[in-house]
Amino acid sequence: MIDRRTLPSRKEQNGQMTEKVVLKERGESWLRTMVRGRLFEQSLGELYERGELVGVVHLSIGLEATAAGVCSNLRKGDQITSTHRGHNHMIARGLEPERMFAEILGRSTGYCGGKGGSMHVANFELGSVGANGIVGAGVPMAAGLGVAAQKLGTGNVAVAFCGDGAANQGVVWESLNLAALWKIPVIFVCENNGFSEFTPTDRVTAGPGIADRAIGYGVSGVVVDGTNVGAVSAVAEGAIDRARSGEGPTFIETRAERWRGHHEGEESYVGTYRETKEFKDPIVQLIQEMDAAGLDGSLLYEKIHAEEKDLIERSLAVAQQAPLPELSTALEDVFS
Amino acid sequence: MSPTSTAKRLTPAMADAIAQEMRSDPTVYLWGVDVTVGVMGPTRGLAKEFGPDKIRDCPISEAGFVGAAVGAAIGGLRPIVDIMFSSFTYVAFDQIVNQAGRIRYMTGGQLSVPMVIIGSAGAAGANAAQHSEVPSALFMNAGGLRVAFPSTAHQAFWLMRSAIRSDDPVVFLFHPALASARGEVRDEPLHLGDAEIGPEGTDLSILATGMMATRARAAAAVLAERGIWAEVVDVCSLSPLPWDAILKSVRKTGRVLAVEEARLTCSAASELAAGITERAWADLKAPVKRLAVPDTPIPFAPTLEESLIPSEEDIVKAAEEVASA
Repeated sequence: MIDRRTLPSRKEQNGQMTEKVVLKERGESWLRTMVRGRLFEQSLGELYERGELVGVVHLSIGLEATAAGVCSNLRKGDQITSTHRGHNHMIARGLEPERMFAEILGRSTGYCGGKGGSMHVANFELGSVGANGIVGAGVPMAAGLGVAAQKLGTGNVAVAFCGDGAANQGVVWESLNLAALWKIPVIFVCENNGFSEFTPTDRVTAGPGIADRAIGYGVSGVVVDGTNVGAVSAVAEGAIDRARSGEGPTFIETRAERWRGHHEGEESYVGTYRETKEFKDPIVQLIQEMDAAGLDGSLLYEKIHAEEKDLIERSLAVAQQAPLPELSTALEDVFS
Repeated sequence: MSPTSTAKRLTPAMADAIAQEMRSDPTVYLWGVDVTVGVMGPTRGLAKEFGPDKIRDCPISEAGFVGAAVGAAIGGLRPIVDIMFSSFTYVAFDQIVNQAGRIRYMTGGQLSVPMVIIGSAGAAGANAAQHSEVPSALFMNAGGLRVAFPSTAHQAFWLMRSAIRSDDPVVFLFHPALASARGEVRDEPLHLGDAEIGPEGTDLSILATGMMATRARAAAAVLAERGIWAEVVDVCSLSPLPWDAILKSVRKTGRVLAVEEARLTCSAASELAAGITERAWADLKAPVKRLAVPDTPIPFAPTLEESLIPSEEDIVKAAEEVASA
């Protein structure tokens, strides 16, 4: 018999304000990361609109607070695995917009030489082993990266980003089982945006909630407002500290809605499948919090926005001028 | 410990190779289901020397622990996964094919996935359709995966050493009915990408792996008594294929029989036949012949199982046809 009293319980961490001292120390960095991610993805949206992008792009506009909040607590050497909706994770990990644009535009200067594209942007040195085109598939890899860190004694941790769609992939829970058993330094971050591709997730997901499932593995399941970067960061910081000190995994479910569809251009074949409404904006929320704390977030935003807009425009211009890959590279990198 | 001319059984030779690599390289780990007990042979005895941290029992969740091995390999370990029966790879197919086999390519060569997946392949008597297959062709076709399928202790020892040292994911198959086959492990290293030729012959080349290679060698002895000199090319590295060695033999004999313990359609034998026909048409004296399993699953009843898999007699008969064509 399982003694339910000894099991971790689900925690809800919503609506709290971030302390002024924390906002002062980290607010600017969070704001910059989120604004960079937002502008980067808005540019992609515009490129798509103009027919200048090939392939499929999945935007994470509205979800920036999870990427910024989690990754701001990582250090060099930590690794993340990401999802098909991963641009913000990469930006938050410090990947350069120019080389990300180049990759997504299929240029030789892209992080993967144009062989990965939007769904496979990766850079190991900066701590991202990559986005992934298969829902949930990066999760066991993050567990394995955690095992490597554990065995090599690096003190690094791994973060497995996944979405609510992945919550119904068996391999996610197989990984959580391993992580709990082996006390792997890995943090599971499930971004619940309410839609599994085009289907409302609650229509295809049994049980009281995704984070609740973690409790069955003896792992803390925490639900946090995914539009509140301070709240996400606080939860992630605790989870990362515990993982680093050998206490094993935490399962964090962040809730925020994606502003865009499953992918750009879907209007051409998908009808209306969700209501149009105004979404909560994590950037506006942070600005307001900083303003309320007397840190003049609005003014800071003006400055950051101008700087990041300039960076994104310059990065895109350079990427667009970058050479296409040599055709011979299509035959390279199959084997070592 | 040098392996100079030691008589060994096949799976213990694999275990020896793993042990040697583990002693010299602290990043080598092994995990899978029941590996402490060593149910399948290649891991037997390892837990005693290396302990439960290095030799780690996993829950029965192939996608999860293979995926974890992929991540661990990217992160700097050299994990070996014992998947037991190679048919269990189907449970972890995304992680093997779509992740391990693609990651180097998708990341433009940034990431390596140095891991080995061990599985038994082939029919060992009444294991029925889900525990008796030879899936090598699936992995040959997958792209980005190396495939080894030794049929002797010598091949098993050296190819395992080479597989563990490889920076690529390797699917390492062994035939369960050859697990106890005894042979010399000579001090002549083989590497992934090598084939092994023997006996040599002049009348036709028989290309085979695993149990079919063993039967081909026995068939060659029978054929020799009948005055037909068959050369057996044990294609113990199946991906990438060792074309130089294969074509050298084909150009010498001009006649080819490709034998495989797998369904004929799109089998390794089919690829060999097509590739040889394209590359060595001018040297061929007769059409290439394939001998394989009909396009069915493997049945349970031993008599049925036996009826579908090429026997030594089947190989002799097919070889005589090729030799006289």
